[in-house]
Order: sequence, then structure tokens, then C-alpha cells
Amino acid sequence: MNGLMLIARREITTQIRTRSFLIGLLVTAVLIAALSFLPKLMGGNDSYTLGTVNSQQLPLKQAAPDVEFEWRSFPDEGVAKQAVLDGDVDAVLVDNAKVLTDGEIDSQLGVLMQSVNREVKLGGAGVSIAPLQMQSVGADTRYQAARTGIAVILTVLLFMLVLGQAVMVAMGVVEEKGSRIVEILLSTVRPWQLLGGKILGLGVLGLINLLTVVVVGLGAAAMSGMFPDLPPGMPGLIAAVLVWFVLGYAFFATLAAALGSLVSRQEEVNTVLTPLTMLIMATYFVAFYVTNDPTGTVATVLSHIPPFSSMIMPVRMAAAEVPMWQVGVSMVAMVLAVVAMLAFGAKVYQRAVLRTGARLKLGDVLRAK
Amino acid sequence: MLEISELRKRFAGGPDAPGGKVALDGVSFSVRPGEMFGFVGANGAGKTTTMRIVMGVLQPDSGSVSWQGRPLGYDARQRFGYMPEERGLYQKMRVAEQIEYFGRLHGLSGPATKKATDDLLERLALTERRNDAVQALSLGNQQRVQLAVALVHDPEVLVLDEPFSGLDPIAVDSLATALQERCRGGVPVIFSSHQLELVERLCDSVGIVSAGRMVATGTVSDLRAAESKTLRVVVRDPAPGWAEGLPGAVTVHGDRHTLRAVGGDDQEILRRAVKAGHVEHFGVEQPTLTEIFKEAVA
Repeated sequence: MNGLMLIARREITTQIRTRSFLIGLLVTAVLIAALSFLPKLMGGNDSYTLGTVNSQQLPLKQAAPDVEFEWRSFPDEGVAKQAVLDGDVDAVLVDNAKVLTDGEIDSQLGVLMQSVNREVKLGGAGVSIAPLQMQSVGADTRYQAARTGIAVILTVLLFMLVLGQAVMVAMGVVEEKGSRIVEILLSTVRPWQLLGGKILGLGVLGLINLLTVVVVGLGAAAMSGMFPDLPPGMPGLIAAVLVWFVLGYAFFATLAAALGSLVSRQEEVNTVLTPLTMLIMATYFVAFYVTNDPTGTVATVLSHIPPFSSMIMPVRMAAAEVPMWQVGVSMVAMVLAVVAMLAFGAKVYQRAVLRTGARLKLGDVLRAK
Repeated sequence: MLEISELRKRFAGGPDAPGGKVALDGVSFSVRPGEMFGFVGANGAGKTTTMRIVMGVLQPDSGSVSWQGRPLGYDARQRFGYMPEERGLYQKMRVAEQIEYFGRLHGLSGPATKKATDDLLERLALTERRNDAVQALSLGNQQRVQLAVALVHDPEVLVLDEPFSGLDPIAVDSLATALQERCRGGVPVIFSSHQLELVERLCDSVGIVSAGRMVATGTVSDLRAAESKTLRVVVRDPAPGWAEGLPGAVTVHGDRHTLRAVGGDDQEILRRAVKAGHVEHFGVEQPTLTEIFKEAVA
């Protein structure tokens, strides 16, 4: 096995055993599962208990096949009133003419009862009305809520994973530099192997995290019966997210390694990473904005500019349809940016990682031969 | 034979040193198989820089390092063992895993690494700590792990920067024994140290470096021979003025007079001393390495 793989393997085996990794994974899984059930819990009420006093049950089920209705009948208005006030029923129809509720009626229920009542009465008078045919001439918006939801989760997830793993890379670099392990390592492997192995190993851990989220999310969606609500093309989206994560991570992790190699003490990591953190934060905020406006100019432009594209394009793809050619162009640009960053990062790392002591200036490192 | 010749290295200057700092200004020496070479010098003299260049961690501006007659390259260096100046271990990694990891990095196969690790743990009395995190070990034990990391691949050459610093006398002895064993096995060992008595005791030859230059190299006895000899004579209760005209100075402690003489006719001095009183001591003083060192870097 060559040096690169040995180094990557060490990163994976040492990290995966730590309590913080396992707890982190567990917390993410639980959060994602909870998020997958959330729409079900928060979504519109889809079952009502109704009562009748001296009235016919309205054929509400015909008008709203997705909603469950349970009917009870009450002997008189007094009993019915008490049942409403006790919260046993949502509404009671009295004498086919009046509806009792506790406070204002649920608007969906109110509209439904009004229109069905009208239909029943007109039907009784011999008038039959053909239902209106609904036809959308705009984009398919059936899945918009689900798409936006997925996009928001994705934004948070990519932000946390890319930033988290990039910081880990920087901390690892500083650990080796500060303790001079790097001197032993560099007498056995080449700098690019050491850097590459570290980025690769921590990247695999990031992917494990991401895949856990995908599996848990899909599993929870299946269990909560939300599968039919998911937009079509999920497998493609998941594949795209994985690719974009790899690209974004490669870019930011290499930058983190280069910046990390400038300092020798863990306490200095945060300071030296400030430009990187700012860049990722900015991308995160724009990505969040894009979840709301996935077709606007900001979304279109920034989803083509690396490194923003690594987070904004997958979020845009989740939130709305994106032409394939745009995805292609954006991906090529990002790959080029990653290659450039790898070259830059390897150069800085190689020159700075053995210069222990005070924090180095990036400019000095680049100028030194 | 490991040959270091004419190494020169200048570090780029920061704002306070615009011209840069000369770290090495033509360092040369060689170490034969089975020879223990002690590298001494003041802080900042260039010992660490030299060792880093030997290990390929730094590039010299000019000069060369060769091993067995060929320029030392990446592949040959895989078979070197190295202990850097500040101790480099992964604090959270387990002892045995850490040693195995470096064994694999040095190109050993999985089973070979396991065996070498087990052997080393046994020899360094660390077997019981094999599954402990390094950070849970005492400093002395960490140092042993560090040595194990340098030895796991049965290196052809050992380069150790300050291996004895911070060790208690017992740990110093066990480390010294381990190094002597390797040395007897034909491995050239280079180590740097400020503990000159230790260097004097262990090393076949010594290099004294000062301000980036090798100011003296050779065996300890060679270096002694090069020093001007001091004759020390102790006479009890001599006649006053007995040493007049002799080279050197007399110090008096009670009725003991001590003459330290450099040069001059030793037989003549002896005759004068015998005539003057009761001679308690007459002999050439061996300069210690410390004295040689102070002389060399002065």
C-alpha cells in the first residue's frame, strides 16, 4: 500500500473511533429523521371530527378524498355545543343550516363545508355542476414545498460538513506541524502524499456522514409515508449532491490545509482560518437566499462561480429545475478551480509546513524560493 | 559510509534579517558503519539543520549527502531512522498502532511490522502499554515510543536529534544501550546532544559545530591530543618559591601547592618538585570534552 493510502487510512481509523465522530453522526441522524417527520406533524390538518344535530352528513369525502372525516350525531344543540367546547369535535352542523365551532372555523374545513353544502342543495334542486378542471400552464409546483425543504436541509448540511471537515484538515495539519511528526512523515513520504492522504481520509469521513444523512432521511421519509410527496429525480439529485460535496470539500479542505500550515499552534488555527470561514459563511448565506429564490439572477450567476457554485448549484438543483448545460458548465469551472487550489495548496503546504514557530505570512511563503 | 560534504544553507530573512541567516557554512563529516557520531554545538549552531538536510526534510543550498558512495535519495532514506528535535508523536493514537503506522510508512509489510512492533515493545518494556494512548504515557515512556518509531523498520542509519534530552539517568542508560546495540550491528548512528559527558562516554567520534561551521571533528582522543597538554603537580609543604621560573601558575590550598604548567620540560619540573617537598600528584590532565568544546567554539 502506498503512502497516500496509509495516511488516508490512519485518518479514517483514528477519527472514526473517537466519541465525537460517533456522537456527531448520531445527532445528525436523529435531527434528519426528526426533520423528515416534521412536515407530517406541522402540515395541514388532514382529519376532522364533525357532528350533526338533526342534519344530513355532508359528502365531504367526495370533495376532499385526502382528508379523513369522522361523524357523530348529537341529540340536541346543547349537547353538541358542549362537545365543541370540550374539543371532542371540530364543528357541528345543526339543522342543515348552521355550523357550531369553538372560535373561528378551520378555513379549509369552512370552505369545504360551504361549497359541499351549496352543491348538495343545488343537486337537490336538480342543478348539477361540473367541477372545474384545474390546469397549470406554469412550472410544476406540486413539489415546491418539498423541494424547498430539501434545499434548506441541504444548505445546512453542506455548510456544516464542508466547514467541519475543512477545519479538521487544518487542525490535523497543525497537529503534525506543531509536534514535528511532519518531519518523520516527510522523511518517509512526499508532501503531496501527506497532504493528499489527509484530505482524502477526512473527505471519506465527510462522505460517510453525508450518506448517513441520505439513508436516514430517505428511510424516515418512507416510514412517515412522505415518499409520494418527494419530487421526481431524487436519485439524480443525491448523486449530484455527492459530487458537489466532493468538489466543494476538495477546494475548501485544500485551502484549509494551506492556511493551517502557516501556524504551529492549535490556538492559532481559528485566526488563520478566518478568510476560509468567511468565504464558507458567505456561500452559506447566499445558498440560503437561493432556497427562496432558486431561479433569480443571484442564483443563476453564483451557481456558476467557483467556489460558491459547489454549494449553490446543488441547492438550486434541489429547489428548482436547472438546465443540464448550466450544471455541466458550472461543474467544469469548479473542477478547474479545485485543480488550481490543489496546486496552490500543495505549494504553500510544502514550503510552510516545516517552518515551525511564529505564524508565517502567506505572501512570504509564496515569495520564498 | 555516510558522507556529508560542504553543506551550505541560508534561510530567507524576515523583516529583522533582510539578508537572511546563514545556518550552515560548509559542514562536512562522515560516519562509518558501526560508528557512533556525537554532534555537539551551541544552540543555533546548525546541528538540527544538518540533520534535517540528511533526512531530506530540508534542501541544502549546496553541498551533498551520500550513502554507500551514492547520492542519498528518497528511496535510500526510507531505510533511515529519524528522531526529530521536538518529539513527534500522535498524542491520541495508541502506542502499538503508532509504531506499526510508521513501520508501514517505511515500507514494511503488515506482518513484518507487527512482528517488529511486538519485539520493540518487549525490548523497551512497553508491552503492557501497547493499547494506551500516547498522551497517557510518562515523558520517558513517550521517548521510548519515539525511539521505537525510529527503530521499527530496522534502519540502516540512525539520525537522532537530542535523543537524551529530558530523560532521567536510568532512561538515558537504556536508550544508550539500545543505540550501542544498533551500532554494534553495523549501523552508523548520529546523534546530537548538549550532555557532553554522555557524548564523551558513548561516541567513537565527535563533531563540534559552531556558527554553521564544523570547527573540530575526530575521535575524542584525537581531539584531546590536539589540545595543548596541561601538567598538574601537587606538592605538599614545599620550600617557598620552589616553582619560580617554571611555566604556569601555582595555587595554594593549606599546605598543598598545585602547579598547572603548559609546555616546559616535564622532567625538570618533576625534579624541582621532588626537591621542594612531598609530591602527591604528577600527571598530564586529560581535557574533558567540555573543555575541548569551549576551546573550539571560543
